[in-house]
Amino acid sequence: MTTLLSQLVDETVGDTSDVPFALLDEYSKREIRRAILTAVAVPGYQVPFGSREMPVARGWGSGGLQVTLGVVGPLDTIKVIDQGDDQGVNAVNLRRLIVSSTGIPETTVAAESTIVQTRHRIPEDGLDTEHILVLQVPVPEPLRGVERDMRELARMHAEADYSKMWVSLYEDKVRNGVITQSTGYPCLVNNRYVIATTPIPRWDIPKLDNAPFLSLFGAGREKRIYAVPPHTKVEPLTFDDVPFEVEQTPGATCFRCTSSMSFLVEIPGPVSRWVCSDTDWCERHEGGLK
Amino acid sequence: MGYAAARGGLDAIEAAEQLVRLKRMASPSAWVDRDQIVGRLRLAVDRVMGEGGVWDEDLAAVAIRQSEGDLIEAVHLLRSFRSTLPRFAYGTDVDADELRVIRRIVPAFRNPPGPQLLGRTSDYTSRRLELTDESIAREEAEKLQTQLWADQLDEDAPSTASQEHQQPRRLLETLRDMNLMVDRRRTDDPEPFDITRSPARPPAPRSARLSSMARAETGALVNQWYRNILGPDGYLHEVTLGEVRHGYLPVRVSHPITGNPVHVGDVRVTEVEAIEDLNGIDEDRDRFDVGYGLCFGHNEKKAIAMANLDIACHRDGGQTQVEQSLLLTTDGLDSSGFLEHLKLPHYVTFRSMMERKMAVRNAKQKSASDDKGTSK
Repeated sequence: MTTLLSQLVDETVGDTSDVPFALLDEYSKREIRRAILTAVAVPGYQVPFGSREMPVARGWGSGGLQVTLGVVGPLDTIKVIDQGDDQGVNAVNLRRLIVSSTGIPETTVAAESTIVQTRHRIPEDGLDTEHILVLQVPVPEPLRGVERDMRELARMHAEADYSKMWVSLYEDKVRNGVITQSTGYPCLVNNRYVIATTPIPRWDIPKLDNAPFLSLFGAGREKRIYAVPPHTKVEPLTFDDVPFEVEQTPGATCFRCTSSMSFLVEIPGPVSRWVCSDTDWCERHEGGLK
Repeated sequence: MGYAAARGGLDAIEAAEQLVRLKRMASPSAWVDRDQIVGRLRLAVDRVMGEGGVWDEDLAAVAIRQSEGDLIEAVHLLRSFRSTLPRFAYGTDVDADELRVIRRIVPAFRNPPGPQLLGRTSDYTSRRLELTDESIAREEAEKLQTQLWADQLDEDAPSTASQEHQQPRRLLETLRDMNLMVDRRRTDDPEPFDITRSPARPPAPRSARLSSMARAETGALVNQWYRNILGPDGYLHEVTLGEVRHGYLPVRVSHPITGNPVHVGDVRVTEVEAIEDLNGIDEDRDRFDVGYGLCFGHNEKKAIAMANLDIACHRDGGQTQVEQSLLLTTDGLDSSGFLEHLKLPHYVTFRSMMERKMAVRNAKQKSASDDKGTSK
């Protein structure tokens, strides 16, 4: 019996003695690829998939990791960032896992990569038609703040009924004078579905609109994959007379590369200093913009 | 140090891993063998197999040892190991009546049909910490080991009890004979919902709810039950247990060539049937209904909570979000993973939030100075 079953395994899925290329078994990868194809065909639609348990915890990039492992091939080059930093602890950990299970080369330069897996930033530059951007998504549901019942959420997306979202944005503006949504700003994709833009800062939203590259969003815990295909309209939800605002830091420049043209994060102190969140951009622009 | 924006993330996480390994591997205490964990931490092993959805005592023991006894972590190790394995066969249907009981109690009757078999339980053992001298405890252990084999005290040993004693008729059957049960048995035979392959969201078939609960984190399920009994949700009604069983179920697969079912082993499960007193205005007031719970290993807390929540969810009929709670909030990997992700760097999102705080402040100041301007 055992022999027969093991023969069956060998015949259907090949050698099982070693951990497979890109960790997941071939059936799982096929399922992820099918979900990705659906996601690309219906931009912004959250495609359910049978998310696997990964060697990283749920909430730590397990969805992005499955997407990357689903699309990666032996000729790819990977870049992984967390908060824009290639050396962030979680970026290092995920990169280590991807590289060790595939043997592909790694890079910190977006332009040299073919796949960029990221937590909460889009590289400042370098992404073009040959790139796939894989975003790790903690909460894929953009409407959860305005509706808790999943059955109702499914109806709202199906009927493109985003009225509750509009009301919430309106109330926010009226009460606070500005729209206070910080990261993960809700966007309408291809005039049809509202998506959660992961928690990337508003700074990165314009990079998604009509982008040359493919963006894939993976939410492992909530078991959803969605996509923004290349050259697709991505519109932040706002009103005609309330312009969408990215993060502003008037007068601030990076203390390392002096840039004021990248997303800056604060180093608090008696006199705060600022530094690029995209460490690779910062390194390449050290000593002034070239 | 070495965290977040600092360079050298790899050095830091490798050093952290080394610290973990050092205490785990280089502890001056004796090495714990897998069979010691399987033999002595029986309920922990059962729980990890149940929540991990993998029946393998040896692998569960490895996971418990590696996780230093953090059972949710052990479940994670087991489940992510399973992700690397292809699924190449499905078990054939097993009738739960085939369960060979080693424990069976029926709280609903003093003398139910079939035995009241207390079996192995510490329910009635007084909870006193046994501070016996170690050498005396070891002596007792050795004596019992000899006795166990000599007197066949092992509950797993082949039983000489009658068929009726080993596979007693269910109380439910008796109640059905008395026309006291609502009959919800289906005549069709739908494929069960596979929660490992499709994400279950409400409204979902009952099989999705049952399998979600069978793999749920035990503490999460007990909490769901209790907060529905006593807490803010209160959708739940206390049941009377009709069956609490612990025993063996056969596992069979179809032979790849002959197609005949082949017995490949047994799993130990806990099974519960919860009799529900229907007291709703529109419900069948002269009959009872039943909720069902079944999970791997000996885990009665989980099976009882599951059975009660199963019938509660059915009676709720989608009126509230109790189904969403069961399907989406009871998985230990989901909840603990997401909770712990808060330790990851969050400085990009936090920077963006601070920027909005300043924007709100500026808007307030502007509107205050505008007001001043108009009042002049």
